[in-house]
Amino acid sequence: MSDLRPILLVEDSAKDMELTLAALAKCQLANDIIVARDGAEALDYVFCRGIHENRDPGDPAVVLLDLKLPKVDGLEVLEQLKGDAMLRRIPVVMLTSSREERDLVRSYELGVNAFVVKPVDFGAFFEAIQDLGMFWAILNEPPPRVR
Amino acid sequence: MPEATRDLDAICAREPIRIPGAIQPHGALLVFHPVDGRLTQASANASSCLEADVRIGMRLCDLPGGVELSSHLASWDFVAEPVFVRTYEISARRYDVSVHRTPQGAIVEYEPADPPRDGSHAVQYPGTRAFLMQLGHGQSLAELCATVARHTRQLTGFSRVLVYRFDPEWNGKVIAEDGDGTLPSYLDLHFPASDIPAQARQLYLLNRIRLIRTAAYEPSPIVPDTSPVDGRPLDLSMSALRSVSSVHLEYMRNMGTASSMSVSLIVDGRLWGLISCHSAQPHHVGAQARAACELIGQMMALQIGALERAEVASRAVELKQIEVTLLSRLSESLSVVQGLRDNPDLWLKLASAQGAAAVLDEGIVTAGVVPDEAFIQKLAAWIYEQTDEVVATERLGELAPELGAPEDVASGILAVRISQLRANCLIWFRPERVQLVSWGGEPRKVADVQEPERLHPRQSFGTWKQLVKGRSLPWSDIDVLGANDLRNAILNVVLRQAEERSKLIEELQRSNKELEAFSYSVSHDLRAPFRHIVGFSELLRDRNGDMDERSQHYLANIIDAAMSAGRLVDDLLSFSQLGRHSLALANVDVVKLVEEARRTLETEQAARKVHWDVGPLPVVWGDHAMLRQAILNLCSNALKYTRTCEEAVIRIKGEKLQGETVISIGDNGVGFDMAYVGKLFGVFQRLHRAEEFEGTGIGLALTKRIIDRHGGWIKAEGELGKGATFTFGLPVRDKEATT
Repeated sequence: MSDLRPILLVEDSAKDMELTLAALAKCQLANDIIVARDGAEALDYVFCRGIHENRDPGDPAVVLLDLKLPKVDGLEVLEQLKGDAMLRRIPVVMLTSSREERDLVRSYELGVNAFVVKPVDFGAFFEAIQDLGMFWAILNEPPPRVR
Repeated sequence: MPEATRDLDAICAREPIRIPGAIQPHGALLVFHPVDGRLTQASANASSCLEADVRIGMRLCDLPGGVELSSHLASWDFVAEPVFVRTYEISARRYDVSVHRTPQGAIVEYEPADPPRDGSHAVQYPGTRAFLMQLGHGQSLAELCATVARHTRQLTGFSRVLVYRFDPEWNGKVIAEDGDGTLPSYLDLHFPASDIPAQARQLYLLNRIRLIRTAAYEPSPIVPDTSPVDGRPLDLSMSALRSVSSVHLEYMRNMGTASSMSVSLIVDGRLWGLISCHSAQPHHVGAQARAACELIGQMMALQIGALERAEVASRAVELKQIEVTLLSRLSESLSVVQGLRDNPDLWLKLASAQGAAAVLDEGIVTAGVVPDEAFIQKLAAWIYEQTDEVVATERLGELAPELGAPEDVASGILAVRISQLRANCLIWFRPERVQLVSWGGEPRKVADVQEPERLHPRQSFGTWKQLVKGRSLPWSDIDVLGANDLRNAILNVVLRQAEERSKLIEELQRSNKELEAFSYSVSHDLRAPFRHIVGFSELLRDRNGDMDERSQHYLANIIDAAMSAGRLVDDLLSFSQLGRHSLALANVDVVKLVEEARRTLETEQAARKVHWDVGPLPVVWGDHAMLRQAILNLCSNALKYTRTCEEAVIRIKGEKLQGETVISIGDNGVGFDMAYVGKLFGVFQRLHRAEEFEGTGIGLALTKRIIDRHGGWIKAEGELGKGATFTFGLPVRDKEATT
């Protein structure tokens, strides 16, 4: 597993970012974690454009995507990812504060792989992140990809 | 109407009363050709009566006195109604001569004139003038009728004069009488419609006066029996000497009257009544006196019309005032229902009714004395079936026996439909008014046993009393008008309220949208800070395992507080979301929901001793997710408030009733004081301190909202220290309810 692919965390809130990173750190994952602070940046990353034009090639192992984002919101990012024939295979986990049913329904319609409502209880949040990290970043073998 | 009576009336209707082919023999009748003026027909008695040789083909001037008469007639315009020309002395006898024109020729009638005593205008004029002077001086109808009866008797010399008034079914009632005592009094007696058949009434409209000098006459036939002009029998509709039906003569003989005269009272083109004069002996009234009587009848009819219109007008003014008041109050009130409910007196007065009901979408509103609701529903359905917009009857029992109307409340109804699409209507009720009606003899004609085609009038005119039941006072045109106006007003109010409602709905939708946006942002932004507090506090604790006890306690409090604030936000959100989500209705197995709730809760309460007493539970019709939440809340409550019990007992029961399914969840916990039962289901209402029993105070409010959204009900019963029982009912599926 020498080429562990990175995890892309898309999160605008500094505090949430810090907490998520702390949780991920606790999981002791070896993956790099790339942080995008808004939807546009996340798209630049996956499409290798803008500031990420010259990044190392390769898709992230998993995208942890906040729903409410500046510029381009989470649902739109999801839509673009899942609308791309290549990128649609990247697992996307929607992380959100929202308990709104319509967000959940819309996310699944767009092909989200998991939907997690961030619990207020940090213990529960930690467990969720840990499970997700383990599953998507390590266990889940990506389909072979032709470039 | 009984079969036999209808047959008899049919026979009556066939009586050829306009073309009897004969006249009463006290006078003579001649018919002169409309073109050549030659005699075409004459009564058989003409020659003897006029003491002249009357021959077909002769001219009027060939007759005794004819030269003078025909020169007179030449200066007259012939008219359709008989015109009294003058009194002639022919062969030493005095004759009153009348003339009228028909398509079959000019009909000249000779009658013996009254002796000069009361036969001259000079005598009649002062009496008639006195009568006319009395008219229009604020007389009531009763006074007017009495005056007319008295004056007519003076004028004609009959023994008894009656004023006879028709009811809407053409039964007659004697409302005034003047007599010399030789004939029995008929005052206040009723006479059935069959006494004066329809075709006779028709003739009364046309020819306003009719005299029968003696009931025992031998008719004098018209010769020849058909007119050479058109080959038909002579039309005697307008003739003064017309011979009447033999049935009528028999009727008169049975009544003990030998002579009679009738004057029509025609009000606004309708036969209102008759002035009916009788004597036990044959009696003659000359043409001049008859003309005076006819004039009196016309004057009286005009006066009656004026009186009726005045009555209608004053009632209309009164009603209009009631209506205006009621309508203004209706439009001020929140709803039609409220407006009617608040003004029962006006509502009843509008149609002078004892009871009133409005069957509306919102339900039934009533005022005064009304039948039970089930009957009103049934009646509304029946009214909806009727073709007319307005149903006004004083005998509902007879009109619709299948309804089984309670006579003491609803003998009469006045109903107007409000909606074309639904059985919505306004109904006014009048109770039965039992009436003792005195008939002038039993109101039945008798068919001849030997000759069924031959008809005999009734024999007896002795007073025959009848108890009339199942009828209310009849509804007047004004009542119907008032009812219609209220109907229109209600439609207006309903329309206006619909407009207001749609505006309100628009506003509500807008504010709902705002609320939705608000709660959406709350769900994102309000939860986050709590999450951050908890998260960073945890991180802080992790990094400082060696924190002193007090610091650890403070940190634990911070985490606790933030967590419960987070839960509160979550609970509030689910509460607000409940109203927005539509129900996904399906059959829901309550047994499964209870099992699920038990599993969820037991993991939290593993150490406790809890006895679950779950009876057989029915399947209910509802939203699975919502009901799961409701059952979970109630079970969780039961478990929470039995925490202090050594052994908690939770009983869950259910049963399917008519139209609803009822589930109850009871416990033996701390219970509550019934004084606070009203607060139990409110948001943030707590009956215990937070330290005793945790919770946000939303659980029961949420549960109630779930049940409400299903159209069900929920109640709580409890006693301090003895436990509480929550019971809710859910309506069964619509389809089941109707089958």
